Amino acid sequence: MARPEQRRIDLGALSVAAGAVVAAGGVGALLLLAGGYEPLGAARAALAGAFGSTEALLSITLVRTVPLVLTGLAVAFAFRAGVWNIGAEGQLLAGAIAAAWVGLAGRALPSWVLVPVLLVLAGCAGALWALIPALMKLRLGVGEVITTLLMSFVAIHLTGWLVHGPLQEPRGIFPQTEAIAEAARLPALVPGTRLHAGAFIAIAAAVAVAWLFVRARIGFRMRAVGASSSAARIAGRIDTGPIVLVAFMGSGALAGLAGGVQVAGVTYALYEGFSPGWGYTAIAVALLAALNPLGVLATALLFGALEAGAAAMQRDAGVPAVWAMAVQALVILAVLALDRLRRRGGGGAARV
Amino acid sequence: MTAVLARLDGVARRFGSVQALAGASLEVRAGEVHAVLGENGAGKSTLLSVLGGMLRPDSGTIEVGGERVEFASPRDAWKRGIGLVHQHFTLVPALSGLENLALGRRSSPFRLRRTLEGLRADAESLMDRTGLAVPLDAPVEGLGVGEKQRLEILKVLLRDPSVVVLDEPTAALAPAEVTALFALLRSLAAEARAIVLVAHKIDEVLAVADRVTVLRRGRTTLTELRANVGAEALVRAMIGDPHVYAAALGVDASASHSRPTRTRGAVVATLDDVRACAPSGRLALDGVSLEIARGEIVGIAGVEGNGQRELALILAGRLRATAGSVRLPAGIGFVPQDRSHEGLVGDFDLAENVALALHADARFGGRATLAWAAIRAEAERVRDRFAIVSAGTSTRADMLSGGNQQRLVIGREMLVASDLLVAENPTRGLDVAATAFVHSELRRLTESPAGPGVVLVSSDLDEVLSLSDRVLVAAGGRLIPVPEHARSKQGVGALMLGGARGAA
Repeated sequence: MARPEQRRIDLGALSVAAGAVVAAGGVGALLLLAGGYEPLGAARAALAGAFGSTEALLSITLVRTVPLVLTGLAVAFAFRAGVWNIGAEGQLLAGAIAAAWVGLAGRALPSWVLVPVLLVLAGCAGALWALIPALMKLRLGVGEVITTLLMSFVAIHLTGWLVHGPLQEPRGIFPQTEAIAEAARLPALVPGTRLHAGAFIAIAAAVAVAWLFVRARIGFRMRAVGASSSAARIAGRIDTGPIVLVAFMGSGALAGLAGGVQVAGVTYALYEGFSPGWGYTAIAVALLAALNPLGVLATALLFGALEAGAAAMQRDAGVPAVWAMAVQALVILAVLALDRLRRRGGGGAARV
Repeated sequence: MTAVLARLDGVARRFGSVQALAGASLEVRAGEVHAVLGENGAGKSTLLSVLGGMLRPDSGTIEVGGERVEFASPRDAWKRGIGLVHQHFTLVPALSGLENLALGRRSSPFRLRRTLEGLRADAESLMDRTGLAVPLDAPVEGLGVGEKQRLEILKVLLRDPSVVVLDEPTAALAPAEVTALFALLRSLAAEARAIVLVAHKIDEVLAVADRVTVLRRGRTTLTELRANVGAEALVRAMIGDPHVYAAALGVDASASHSRPTRTRGAVVATLDDVRACAPSGRLALDGVSLEIARGEIVGIAGVEGNGQRELALILAGRLRATAGSVRLPAGIGFVPQDRSHEGLVGDFDLAENVALALHADARFGGRATLAWAAIRAEAERVRDRFAIVSAGTSTRADMLSGGNQQRLVIGREMLVASDLLVAENPTRGLDVAATAFVHSELRRLTESPAGPGVVLVSSDLDEVLSLSDRVLVAAGGRLIPVPEHARSKQGVGALMLGGARGAA
């Protein structure tokens, strides 16, 4: 029996994603040529840096993929319900702050208590950070695109203040916290690499969100509100307010979890400039995956590899990392353009 | 022989897999009202879009004033004197009538006031000449449907087009307004313009047109002087199939304007002195009392905007009354007027759309989950029972034709309407066969006094009169029962307009 969600991984979306990558790669090659770099060499360095060895794949690419999966899921979770939460960055930082605090304050606790508490509180902090724009939307009618974005700036500067002030390491030299307790850290998944148990958490979260959209009543209601809030209200008798609230909070929790996993699995500390913009890249990750939770696993890996490849390009081929960032941006633009073209050519015009 | 103002010949246009036009022709002459008739999906709107420069045909020719032309945009069509009055309003709600008229006109940004006053003079003289009265200074959002439409017509006429095209202009008008519109069209035609009127109601066409062109499946099947054709020939040209035709007439012919009196069932819904507000905050229902019994069809007629929308929403349990008491049963089905925005989720497939009515039902899921196998089986039953043409229950709703979308909505709501079904303009925009189907379903549903009660809110008087056991007119936020002796188009029309005037 065909389930509603299964056919959503349709060929159209896949071909758009593939086409976008190819198109962006082509333009990226031209950019490199124009900059006087050798595209093939750069590409070889990038590929080797992302996938060339077990070390590259596990310690670099996959480690960068994990926070993108969780924040990508956060964005997809909200967008599917028609909530344009573009503030995953701030919610991630809120989660990271909570995680760092738990990891520092809970030194006396055993690992089996400390790790779950850290992750749960990180999720709660992200949800709380999203609650403010949620209430502003539901109570006052303020658009979430602006509020979620502004809340990210608040979180960025709050982080900066904390690591210069109350949470700064005792010597007071570096703008960062002390390392969190050993018991608060996520175990390594493959010994000798930096890949941590957060990868499992990310995959589990993707499966859980996919299940929610396909099977769960709340997931169906979220999709209905996202696809047509008037039809959800009139035909579905769905009270949209609580659904919107769930979308905000769930999205915030996933982003907060991303921050918690990053602190407990990779950095073991909070510092200024903690996130290189995962919360923003997440929007591209989610859109490229057509908001499909399982698709997010693949697109997050692509962007994780792009970042790993960019670092390698800089190191081994002498190409500045900004070139890779430009390619990343081109992928996003190409996705938007191709998706638009596909809609225009296909379903959109077919009705008479 | 009068001059041919515009001619479309052998026009074809394909959208994806749908051949919307397959060799359609249309020729309009100065001084005539020319009706274009056809069922939904026959290609009327596509043909108009070609004439109005919104679509380029794949093949075929366009001539204006005897000259071959190609329209790259609507602007090209304007320049050739073709003015299109859209079916859906293209007005900015927050702007005044005059400001809406000024949109799209070239003017210096520093001389807006002078431009507006010049436009006002033009508009007022045009209104004097044609008798087309529209308030120019009130924001458009406060205007009635008829006023908005007159404003749209005024907007087009200010460009002094030689061909005026109107896409289904009578859809939302009261009978008296339709009469006034037709008189206006006649006087416009008398100024040596050509008026092209798209319609799907045959009696309207017979009332106003000089010539008729009928489209079926993207082809022109008939072009004839009105004097030379009767209703029967038009219907045959529209639907082609004599069996469908008979079934359609079977409903229309029963316009004896009442149903046989039958025993009333138990009361299922009661409204007592109910008040409610429209989304704008305006008081829309002002003390309405109503009882609905099982097995009866209660028809609500009225000019749009007289409270029937809010009444339908309250009866359907979709809107809370601000005062008064409302008692509703558990099993309510609701067929909303705007099926594509309120009845269906276009991105959802048939089963997901059926789930919209079932997702809160414990029989179709566990504590937190939905039982998709059971829902899909239910959707499959709806598809069979209501003969919905689709590849399966995984077809997206927005890939269905209008008639099939309506079958889906009605079929789904009948699943849950064990006590009460509220239907708002359920046949608006449907073709003859689909309309006949909806009517027979409503009758079947109320055959026995154990069946659900049905509330039929409709601006189509024929529909209300032929289906309903009782008729009430919504006027100025109140309900006026129609006495048996006034149960005719004229009688109900008079009540509708009387009430509407009282409300204004």
